[in-house]
Amino acid sequence: MIFLAPALVAAVVFYILPVLMTAVIAFTDMSTATGIRGGEYALTERTLQTLAEADLPEETGAMLADGGYIVDAAGLAAVAAEFGPDLAARIGTAMGDTAFGSRRAFERALGELRAPELRITRDLKTAAALFQRSVLNTRHQTADSLRAALAAADIPREHHDQIIAAAYTGWSWTTRNFELLVSLPSNLRYALNTMLYVGVTLLFNVGMGLFLAISTFYLPQRSSATFRAIWFLPRILPPVLYVLMWKWMLLETGFIASVLATFGVPRINWMIETEVHAWVAIILINGVVGASFGMIIFASAIKAIPQTMLMAAEVDGASRWQQVRFIILPQMRWPILFTTAYQTLSLLASFEYILLATGGGPGSATEVWAMAAFRTALNNYGGNLQYGMGATFALVLVVIGTALSLIYLRFFNFQALLAKPRIET
Amino acid sequence: MMRLIATTALCGALASAATAQNYEISVWVPGPSEGDRYRWAAIEMAADILEREAAIRGEELTIAFDYKSDFPGWAEFKQAVTLAAEAKDAPEIIVTSHLDIAPWSQAGYIVPVEDYLDLDAWPISDIYPNLMEIASVGGVQWAIPQDSESRPFFFWRAHMRAIGYTDAQIDALPDAVLKGEYTLKNVLEDAKKVVEAGLVEEGKGFFPRPSNGPDYAQFYQSFGGTLYDADTGQLVLDRAAMTAFYQFFVDAVAAGVTSRTHIGSDWDNWYAEVSNGRAAMWHGGTWHYGRYVKEGNTDFFGTVAFTLIPAGGNEGGRANTITHPLVYLVTDQGDKKVQDIAAQLIAIASEPRINSLHAIASAHLSITKSQSGVPLYAQDAWATAATQLLLPHANSQPNHPQYSVYSEAMWKGLESAWTGTQTPEAAVAALEAELSAVLGDALIVR
Repeated sequence: MIFLAPALVAAVVFYILPVLMTAVIAFTDMSTATGIRGGEYALTERTLQTLAEADLPEETGAMLADGGYIVDAAGLAAVAAEFGPDLAARIGTAMGDTAFGSRRAFERALGELRAPELRITRDLKTAAALFQRSVLNTRHQTADSLRAALAAADIPREHHDQIIAAAYTGWSWTTRNFELLVSLPSNLRYALNTMLYVGVTLLFNVGMGLFLAISTFYLPQRSSATFRAIWFLPRILPPVLYVLMWKWMLLETGFIASVLATFGVPRINWMIETEVHAWVAIILINGVVGASFGMIIFASAIKAIPQTMLMAAEVDGASRWQQVRFIILPQMRWPILFTTAYQTLSLLASFEYILLATGGGPGSATEVWAMAAFRTALNNYGGNLQYGMGATFALVLVVIGTALSLIYLRFFNFQALLAKPRIET
Repeated sequence: MMRLIATTALCGALASAATAQNYEISVWVPGPSEGDRYRWAAIEMAADILEREAAIRGEELTIAFDYKSDFPGWAEFKQAVTLAAEAKDAPEIIVTSHLDIAPWSQAGYIVPVEDYLDLDAWPISDIYPNLMEIASVGGVQWAIPQDSESRPFFFWRAHMRAIGYTDAQIDALPDAVLKGEYTLKNVLEDAKKVVEAGLVEEGKGFFPRPSNGPDYAQFYQSFGGTLYDADTGQLVLDRAAMTAFYQFFVDAVAAGVTSRTHIGSDWDNWYAEVSNGRAAMWHGGTWHYGRYVKEGNTDFFGTVAFTLIPAGGNEGGRANTITHPLVYLVTDQGDKKVQDIAAQLIAIASEPRINSLHAIASAHLSITKSQSGVPLYAQDAWATAATQLLLPHANSQPNHPQYSVYSEAMWKGLESAWTGTQTPEAAVAALEAELSAVLGDALIVR
């Protein structure tokens, strides 16, 4: 058990916990504005506007909006206690029983008294706060604290719950993200884009990987190694550099456009001229990287096939194609399963090459699901990140990824693959 | 005697210990660029002044200053701030977009500066009221503007002359744009003439910025669109204005003056083209001014004319420009004394002379009226001209917590129409469906 502990901790911290947290956050309306830790209670102008929309009686709304600052006996007594009776008397004489609509107006009036006790701004602010009767723009840590403030301001009790609910600044549980997920047309587009992206790229990856592995298998040892090393280059290049090279090739001022221009072909941006251009670029960019991965796996798998089988086939007069069809491919089920499953999952969650190449454009033509999750939860210009909605996007990927893994295992008959070999080795 | 000296010394030490105040003030600013160093250096200077003032009063005040600016981009900066704030480890002062005030104030990361500053006292009273308004939400002054800027429309003078404008007519463009006599319709016509005359390549008659930004909301406003209804606190989607705005970019593509695949093209290339007359008309930020010089244009005023973003030429359209000031925020440290010091530092950093250092070093515009009397600022031709022509007409994007959703969706719609994947009408319909579903009551559709 003790030997299992590190693996268990790693599994929980790096695998299970993130998925659980994604699942939990997906059922909230958490955003930058609501914060993560939970909320407090603050009545602001926006709360009042929301309450007005939600049919809070106008009189109650007006009571919440009013209040302001009132120079009353209670306030004067508080000033006397804090700053001494002289100042209280002076304020009482100058503005007793006067109400001020805004904090700024009241502070201005207090300042104009030129009282020595209030020469420092900090003291003036402290004194002004003693007369605050408005419940607006004060943060309360608990609902009870706000309830008490509402009661003190004579706000009708029957509206307290509605007001407190509207004044809550934190996140709450909701299933709205899932409703939006299925109802927004843009999400359908992202889903279709993702299917196209994963499906076609996967075909390219596995097909091209197999082709390269098999074709290099029949080359002399040295040239096949060189060839594979060249195909492996894109994978070891940093993505930013790799995509930059594609851009140099495809942009309006790039290599292809420049070469074609000499033949009178108008310069276009081959990367995003149309949706088709964008998709071809995306699939090639991802496909070339992916194919090199498949190629390495497949090439080593082919090498593991006993040479004697191929020699025997050769003796029997099997053509190259027949060798591939009847000897190599049947023994490649496991590596093909592995590559397909692995690449499906990694493509589902990957978007970095798309982000760097087309940015999801033109329009939303190449925006995929994982990229929508990234934009929603982690990156937008306005700054209010939608963690809840982003987690919902991500959760869908987790569910699909898990389901696909199970389907793959069943489809490729995983048990049979792991069964003991029937042939002696 | 010895005892007397010892007692006196002890009393003195105790007294100074009683008044000695030590604070650690850390400032985070987005972007490590050298031109922006006064965003934090102004606070460092303010700390020095505040310490000296305290010393004169006989108080011992020590402020340990620290800053961090090496964030790779806005997204990383904002994530760093929110995570630090959640961990109760945020820096005392943050410089950020005014759009962050709404979400960060709701989340409780920041405290209103009006809790600590007398807004009627200099230098705060000297700050332009419209900028102060942009730094407030719901009548509460949460922040102090750190700079201002604007996003004007530019013309390459030589190309305008080549298609028949006299110098006097070019000089009169700002006025003609302001009055609505020169509109975006004229922009398309003139850009087309420049392209047809072979003065610039196809697609560079009108050469907009290549990525999303507040600039694009200006074109929505040009066609009469409003972003926000202050009375109800709701965001506004004006279908007709949005359609006309999208249509303008579609028309520009159809006329061959703007490239259909312009979005996402290279910023460095963009700067090089607009600085050297390889584009006829474009729009950009006032702070780009410094970049023109770097790109080899040493005669900005002789080569470039600038105006507000012209009106759309439809009914209700208006010439406009958006300012997107960065602001100083005081974070919630749970210690009013620290927050007070932070607010005082911000006030000092906003004094005309200190703010002018940032304005001129980074090609931004002033925040206070009296900066026009600060020699450094007054003697800078660009700052003076841009301030006079643009700032009085500048408005901002709304400080609404959901504005980011609105602005992202608006941009996506524009991109779809611009690149021809959707018609403007379809793009606006999709935008309306998306925003109505996501924003619900926070949106008015007109």
